Amino acid sequence: MMFDYVSFLQNLSNGVLIGGVYALIGVGLTLVFGVMKLINFAHGDFVILGMYCAVLLNSLLGWDPYLSLLVAMPLGFMAGALLQRLVLSRLMEAPPESSLLVTLGLALVIGNILLLTFGAEPKSVNVSYASSTVSLGDVSFSLILLLAGLATMVVIAGLYTVLNHTELGRAIRATADNRLGAELVGINTRWIEAVVFGIGMALAVTAGVVLIPLLFATPTFSGAIFTLKAFVVTVLGGLGNIGAAIAGGLLLGVVEVMGASYLTSDYRDAYGLLVFLLILLLRPEGLFGKTVKRV
Amino acid sequence: MKKHYIIFAGLVLMGIFYPQMFPGYLSVAITLLLYAGWATAWDILGGWAGQVSLGHASFVGLGAYFVAVGTSHYEIAPWWTVLMVLFAASLVAYLWGRLTFKLKGPYFTLSTIAIAEIFRLIAINEGWLTGGATGVFIMTLPEPFGLDLFSRQVNYYLALAFAAITVLVVMLISRSKFGYQLRAVREDEDSAMASGINPTTVKLKAFMLSGALTALGGGIYAIFLSFIEPHIIFYLLLSVQIALTAIIGGRGTIWGPCIGALLVVGSGEIFRTTFAEANMLIYGLLIMVVVIFMPRGIVGEPARYLIRRVYAKRAQS
Repeated sequence: MMFDYVSFLQNLSNGVLIGGVYALIGVGLTLVFGVMKLINFAHGDFVILGMYCAVLLNSLLGWDPYLSLLVAMPLGFMAGALLQRLVLSRLMEAPPESSLLVTLGLALVIGNILLLTFGAEPKSVNVSYASSTVSLGDVSFSLILLLAGLATMVVIAGLYTVLNHTELGRAIRATADNRLGAELVGINTRWIEAVVFGIGMALAVTAGVVLIPLLFATPTFSGAIFTLKAFVVTVLGGLGNIGAAIAGGLLLGVVEVMGASYLTSDYRDAYGLLVFLLILLLRPEGLFGKTVKRV
Repeated sequence: MKKHYIIFAGLVLMGIFYPQMFPGYLSVAITLLLYAGWATAWDILGGWAGQVSLGHASFVGLGAYFVAVGTSHYEIAPWWTVLMVLFAASLVAYLWGRLTFKLKGPYFTLSTIAIAEIFRLIAINEGWLTGGATGVFIMTLPEPFGLDLFSRQVNYYLALAFAAITVLVVMLISRSKFGYQLRAVREDEDSAMASGINPTTVKLKAFMLSGALTALGGGIYAIFLSFIEPHIIFYLLLSVQIALTAIIGGRGTIWGPCIGALLVVGSGEIFRTTFAEANMLIYGLLIMVVVIFMPRGIVGEPARYLIRRVYAKRAQS
């Protein structure tokens, strides 16, 4: 049998584009972990919040989902910062499990409040360009996926600039490196933590908005799935490492799409989980882990 | 310790006469007892050994599927399948623990979620084994000693027996050498090792016991529901419910998981009309309040206070 290069390239590009969005979700989680050593179980539900934000703005004001990013991102940032100041900051001294349990509780609260407000039926946003494609040779790209990939690149480039070329970014990196040291040179680490959690939530919300033309939003089931994917992505690359989270996201996207089309699509979600388990067990510092975090 | 046995005997006695007093509220009581048993079984690993698992739905599912598939496909009586699943669940827990116990803290928790999800996907996709995504119906059940296993009353006593057995096991463990080993491993693995305890062996034993007891409850659950679906019975939310019930009540305490079950199932019943399907909201709010304000749980916090007062008094006199 001839190897079908066109469909291979097609799958590869789809995997990379989907993987970009996974990377966006994973980067938020890994950033929060890197700075606060906090395992955020509500991260996937933040993604769902972003989806519903786009759904709401679309149904009330008729906004295009990408336009609603202008509202969703700042809102997500503020909500995240507030959450950190009001709830999570109380847990800084507690064992790591406590923050895991509180964010798990938060996930349940968010999911069920969405369920009470929007009902259980899946919601989405219909856009006129939903089925448009852009062709490059024999390979065609879905326009929505391309836009999602583009949005991901812009946001991650923005984050990169903030982290590496601003005073705030220096303070964030310093806090992640050595909290006490950062405090000694006059960085208000409590404030930095609020900002970082805000950024993490804003990134998750962005991913949700970007995904809504592609997927349906359901209040309680999908949050856990995104949280799990975010963990797969971050553990693939090594928790707390942003560049690795991006690579992890792309890898997960490709593994899922390839696994689904060349093996069996019934186990689409299992491929990522298997890789996740293998990495956890064999290379707990992640595939690209230079910063060895002993498990 | 004696007072725990007196409380236990009193509660079991009350449990025996409950159906005569409130015959209309049997289903709630069965749910309550099952959750109390599961949470107590979870607590052997999660509380006493300190390994928070969010994958215990796998054992519920294992128990339920053994019983349901056993009766509906192979016509094996439930008591044999329950015996089989006790071994099967211990074996699964052994292999699972062998694989993942080198992971610590949150990483262990994450790995349990991943493994449990893989179990769920297998249950959904391997239709030849499990009946697939549509689930399994239990149509007929044998009648031991003329007892109708479909009747609510019989289900109730099965659930009562299950809860009583798990609580009794934990009571026996709590004062045994094994119980002290568990607590030593929970507090500090290195120190435990220094005093001659093999942490992995102790954790493995705890996981096997916890998994087998949870599967026993799963088997009874299958008979109670007489219809099981992989989406529900293997689902992450069930694992979360079991774990949170125990943590809300108080990890590593004898009565904590039972109190947690009373609180969670009770409030779920009270707010049933208000929240309808959104009943997990209560779990979410409770766990946040408990972890932030009383990290040792609703039973653990006052118990610690009492113990401290006793010690303070002893030190004064």
